[in-house]
Amino acid sequence: MEPGATKLRPLALRKEGSERLIIEWSDGHRSVHTWKHLRENCPCASCRGERERPPDPFRILKPSELVPRPPLAPVAVTPLGHYAYKITWNDGHDSGIYTLEHLRQLCECAACRASR
Amino acid sequence: MHPSATPKIRLPGVKHVIAVASGKGGVGKSTVAANLALALHMQGQRVGLMDADIYGPSIPIMMGLGTVDPNKTVFPLEKYGLKLMSMGFIVNPNQAVIWRGPMVHKAVSQFLTDIAWGELDYLVIDLPPGTGDAQLTLTQTAPLSGAIIVTTPQEVSLIDARKGLEMFRQVRVPVLGIVENMSYFIGADGQRYDIFRHGGGRKLAAEAGVPLLGEIPIDPRVAECGDTGEPIVRKYPDSPVAKAYLELATTAVKELQKQGEQPALPTLEI
Repeated sequence: MEPGATKLRPLALRKEGSERLIIEWSDGHRSVHTWKHLRENCPCASCRGERERPPDPFRILKPSELVPRPPLAPVAVTPLGHYAYKITWNDGHDSGIYTLEHLRQLCECAACRASR
Repeated sequence: MHPSATPKIRLPGVKHVIAVASGKGGVGKSTVAANLALALHMQGQRVGLMDADIYGPSIPIMMGLGTVDPNKTVFPLEKYGLKLMSMGFIVNPNQAVIWRGPMVHKAVSQFLTDIAWGELDYLVIDLPPGTGDAQLTLTQTAPLSGAIIVTTPQEVSLIDARKGLEMFRQVRVPVLGIVENMSYFIGADGQRYDIFRHGGGRKLAAEAGVPLLGEIPIDPRVAECGDTGEPIVRKYPDSPVAKAYLELATTAVKELQKQGEQPALPTLEI
């Protein structure tokens, strides 16, 4: 097993404008994430269930979906132990725990997109 | 911080936090945790022992303590030079704690944050068996320096110990090594008997690429000492088991120093 210190880990996180999160990694990679993409890939059980369900052709919009909402934004990004971050969103959703490996997979930089 | 965000617990006076875990129950985790904590103390360290087994706390009986009135008592309790906290100090042993996960999370978090642990070189945490709520809470919120996995030699224990190892790997808590408990028995005839088979701990350590920290022999006095409230490392310090524990403490500390503390993950201000 690799000792924890030698594993790939983030060295710094920062916001770029209101739409992006930048993570500098220990291997020199600089990953780029839009908040929208992070939320669309929320790993929590209910979001995963929602994504995996086939679209319902008779879906009726809920009243809450008809009211204009403020644009999606994070309220807090909290480190969990040594392995993950939890993102709390401005609509109250906070059950997504993004492991470091998952965050790295979600990188949207040109090189990572091309390699997928 | 947003109110719903899980706070990262800081224990400023505690130098190292060591979790004693296993996948399977009944392998002697609490016995190992109690004796390891005492062995570290006997080597001149300031040590705390936190019993994170909320449903089945064993530390009180092993330390000769019982329930106390939480309104009149200051925690942690102290015995044999150790600072101690356990659900068993609060709940009567004949009463069952019938709780769902979130309550376990709350209790474990409170043990870490609301207890004045003070200045400690080591806080040893006795985990319940399995890979559930208590383990997750600790790995997500406590600054764990490393984990020790306890197993017995036979395969039925190893299969669960592997799950424990995998959990710590996934949550990036360094595994300091494996302890094989109930490893062998030396009979009155001086012969070695491998009662629960042989070599499981060594095999698991090799598989996982972590050190085998020690092999603790079977001695009926271990159970006697546990039930009468004075761990064997203190009561019979010259016994082979006590010597194995003292050696375990030395090896675990060396391994901890070798691994070094992981830097905390960077934060993001929003």
